[in-house]
Amino acid sequence: MSIMRMALVSSALLLLAGCISAPPPKYQAGVSNTEVLMQSTRSDLKVGNFDAAPGVENTHLSVRGSSLTGGSDGTFSAYLREALITELKTAGKYDPSGDTSISGTLTRNQLDSAIKTGTADVGARFIVTRNGATLYDKSLSAHHEWDSSFIGAIAIPAAMQNYATAVQKLLGKLFSDPEFVKATETSATEGK
Amino acid sequence: MNVRQTVRNARAFGFALLACATLSGCLSAKMYVDPKLPVVSKADMPVVPQPRPVQVLFEFRTKGNANARATSEIRPRVLAVAEQSGLFSSVTDTAGATDPGILKIVINNVPMDNAAAKGFGTGLTFGLAGSMVTDGYVCDASYTYNGHTTETTVKHAIYTTIGNHAAPQGLTPLQPADAVHQVMDQLTWNALKQLADQQAFQ
Repeated sequence: MSIMRMALVSSALLLLAGCISAPPPKYQAGVSNTEVLMQSTRSDLKVGNFDAAPGVENTHLSVRGSSLTGGSDGTFSAYLREALITELKTAGKYDPSGDTSISGTLTRNQLDSAIKTGTADVGARFIVTRNGATLYDKSLSAHHEWDSSFIGAIAIPAAMQNYATAVQKLLGKLFSDPEFVKATETSATEGK
Repeated sequence: MNVRQTVRNARAFGFALLACATLSGCLSAKMYVDPKLPVVSKADMPVVPQPRPVQVLFEFRTKGNANARATSEIRPRVLAVAEQSGLFSSVTDTAGATDPGILKIVINNVPMDNAAAKGFGTGLTFGLAGSMVTDGYVCDASYTYNGHTTETTVKHAIYTTIGNHAAPQGLTPLQPADAVHQVMDQLTWNALKQLADQQAFQ
């Protein structure tokens, strides 16, 4: 009888666990990122192809039995690309038919919803080109931490939420990188 | 299975049902909006002779970290308040307007006490040991036009009772969404009023 009870309880717990698979929240431009991008000397950018480096998880990140999926096509590289477009559009620096293009490769993509502190690590190689000339080629990464929880119902949504923040931090590093600033200055791109 | 065991199982099942029904009632959360912040509306706003277009940069943060989901939900309310204020000729959240002012609003949710720990204790006692947690909201707002920036900060709070805890004196319980929306709207209205009082939009 006790085994039967245990089986019933186990089944109930499994049902209650309710493993989910969901994308990160729709990316929102960071206020500080927008402010940096709005500096008047920046040229408008077209956003090219984004993919993932071999061995980098691009479709699913495990969060305590649940799973975080990627952007509109299910990949995290697409999420990063869409995030970049959102940032550029908000700052008025997006030009889909422009001469200067930025593309990228996801080089790091990790998410950990540990009991005490959750962490996300996102990295990418960004390349800015104009008329075939490379103006910028650099790998950047961002580490983000947040207060996690023993309780999955709190920890899982928090991890999914904070993944977007890690991406926002990565883009913030890109926008404020002096080499990127120099490469995307109006004078720099016009002179090439 | 003998009769005694069947009765014991039925009793256990009944108790579980009762516990579930009781839990759902006891652990309900009620929210109350702090009454200290003045209620501001369009009638309190000064008339701006020549309103300019404005681009609103908005971000909601939780403990200092950007919260994309909340930003997405609250942004339309902030834009709506800016439109209703009559302080601007047009309101947008993306670039494109000619010669716009930039209104930056960042609302940070700062827990005033350990809500998770309190809620956990309340849960362990099936709601009999009720608890109240306070969520603080700090709104940093600035308006920049023609190289000149005016800044202000507004603070607000929501009290949440969980389980068997008395309501804060004199306050009416609200649905969670209503409480949050009311606080976000009032933070924005008060921030705009304070910026207007500093002649930011003249």
